[in-house]
Amino acid sequence: MKNCDAFIIGGSAGSLDVLLKVLPSINSAISFPIIIVLHRKPGADQLLTDLLSSKTKLLVKEIEEKEKINDASIYIAPSDYHLLIENNQTFSLDNSEKINYSRPSIDVTFQSAAEVYTDKLVCLLLSGSNDDGIEGLKKVKENGGKVIIQNPRSAVVSYMPAQAELKVNIDAILEIEEMADYINQLSES
Amino acid sequence: MKKGKKIFIFDDNEELLELCTIILEDLGCEIKTSATSNNIEKQVKEYEPDIIFMDNWLPDISGIEATKKLKANNRLQHIPVIYFSANNNISALAKEAGADDYLSKPFNISALEDMVKKYTDTE
Repeated sequence: MKNCDAFIIGGSAGSLDVLLKVLPSINSAISFPIIIVLHRKPGADQLLTDLLSSKTKLLVKEIEEKEKINDASIYIAPSDYHLLIENNQTFSLDNSEKINYSRPSIDVTFQSAAEVYTDKLVCLLLSGSNDDGIEGLKKVKENGGKVIIQNPRSAVVSYMPAQAELKVNIDAILEIEEMADYINQLSES
Repeated sequence: MKKGKKIFIFDDNEELLELCTIILEDLGCEIKTSATSNNIEKQVKEYEPDIIFMDNWLPDISGIEATKKLKANNRLQHIPVIYFSANNNISALAKEAGADDYLSKPFNISALEDMVKKYTDTE
């Protein structure tokens, strides 16, 4: 039985380096979508998509409004919009106010995905310097999903994963080198 | 492209600076970045870059004023300045600044690489 329908990565300062190290080792036939929500400013969107795309054989694309979510694809939340997952497994972009000084807000995406994917959702919170993502991870747990974090002791900016470790019942704490294997093992063989 | 070309990027968008640094270091370039145009001539003189990327909007003096200062300086005016902006009038802004070329934001990796090659493969 499929045990993961979506894998969502939330990150802020210090997360880009993690993605560049992890993406090359992710199985190109992975059986679920990987959705990336990074705190970012407008202006460099195309560069980020291009750079991540150069590190993997998977399709990497910036999310568009109402886009259908497909397996074996990596989706990047655009700057300046909150990213929500709809019940019909499409994306929705929302430009309402910033949350935790952030838009996109990691909490918003984790929370909306938790309701859609319930116990088939896995969320990973990376390096960062604010509280975003914590409430979202709690919601994922309430709905039966799995929550994992980058090891705060080795993250470039430890605050965000450290807060998650303090406040949420975490399923796994991973080093960068362990992340690709963890993700690949969630995929159907 | 010859390795070791020195590139100085002025922009206050940290994400853009981080991405450009990774991309251009992969090409074998040396990169220095600054989020401020404060003491622009001193910053450039100390690094002696082969090419400069200059954002239109900087927190101190504007990209236009910063570029004008560089182009008025006998020791620095030979360094190509590529103007960055998301502004629709980028062509006019670059011309007003006296920049050598411009790159409209958002740009992709190949546009960035092509611009670097255009101004560093001349020797």
